[in-house]
Amino acid sequence: MEISAIRLEAFKEIGNIGSGHAATSLSKLLQARIDMSVPKVWLVPLEKLNEALGEYDTVQVALYLKVEGDAPGKAIFVLPTESARVIAQKLLALPERPDIFEDEMAQSALQEVGNILVSSFVIALSKFSGVFLQPSVPAMAIDMVGAMIDGVLLEEGMIDDDVLIIDTKLSGVKEVEGKFFFIPNKGSLDKLLGVFGI
Amino acid sequence: MSKMIVVGMADYKVGRAPDKLMTAGLGSCIGICVYDPSTQIGGMAHIMLPSSLESLQGNPAKYADTCLAMMLEEMLKLGVMRSRLKAKMAGGSQMFSFGNKAPLLKIGERNAQAVEQELKKVGVPLLVYDVGGSFGRTITFDIQSGDLHVRTINHGEKVI
Repeated sequence: MEISAIRLEAFKEIGNIGSGHAATSLSKLLQARIDMSVPKVWLVPLEKLNEALGEYDTVQVALYLKVEGDAPGKAIFVLPTESARVIAQKLLALPERPDIFEDEMAQSALQEVGNILVSSFVIALSKFSGVFLQPSVPAMAIDMVGAMIDGVLLEEGMIDDDVLIIDTKLSGVKEVEGKFFFIPNKGSLDKLLGVFGI
Repeated sequence: MSKMIVVGMADYKVGRAPDKLMTAGLGSCIGICVYDPSTQIGGMAHIMLPSSLESLQGNPAKYADTCLAMMLEEMLKLGVMRSRLKAKMAGGSQMFSFGNKAPLLKIGERNAQAVEQELKKVGVPLLVYDVGGSFGRTITFDIQSGDLHVRTINHGEKVI
């Protein structure tokens, strides 16, 4: 798969708009200033995915939503377990950081964060492009990051040799970081960018 | 000295004892280890999908059938005897579930079945496997001993 520089640039802009909205939602939720930037838009071959993700077997929290509508794809928010613990603690006003492997309240709070974050990204994207997109029910896992990504990539039972990734970086609250990936299905990219005549 | 050979997604590698083969973060993918104890040559494949027949496109190392065939060919060139080959596998889990909705494709389960069938087709006995569940696995295969070490995050470690 080939993708032109102008398309990558356009996709980065789309990513900026989506993540701007997502950051606003998260700021409201946590009552703290959160910034999200789009450092990279990548077309990554499968065997190089680990360079985009870091070590495959580090434990992270992943929140996954399927994006349905006219330009379907997958949206995943991945964050380190410590960041997830900080977010859950803030949301639930707990005296200590919860054990996210055991604490079901914390898990459900995180799932909700993921839902809001990813949905606001998708809705912004849909409004901006005029292409109908709808986020689905979120799913969460806490596991090796490589295993979660392959679970997401393979859900539909087929996959290209390359994955297009909008990589966003979350910052603002101390000790909270996260990455957001939007992976369009085959054909979705043409639809999204076609709207802008690119 | 023993070195660790890392196998990426949709990839396979062949090595000799005392080298070890490793692949990290298997979700619905499967790690297949095939080895010949007498020549001490072994291979590991990290496959993603059951069959190339459904959608033969792109990298053949993605699929159970084509990847296994490629790996066996390379191993035979290095001098393994087909009749002495043995196999082990791990992976094939279902990482995400959406509430009560059953997943449409159960790709992990289908991957495990496909590998089992392909091994049968080429006549390599599957000695042992660790598949299924809803968690990731990192596997290390010791070509010398034939031990397959399976590590998980919250579901323990084992050697099969």
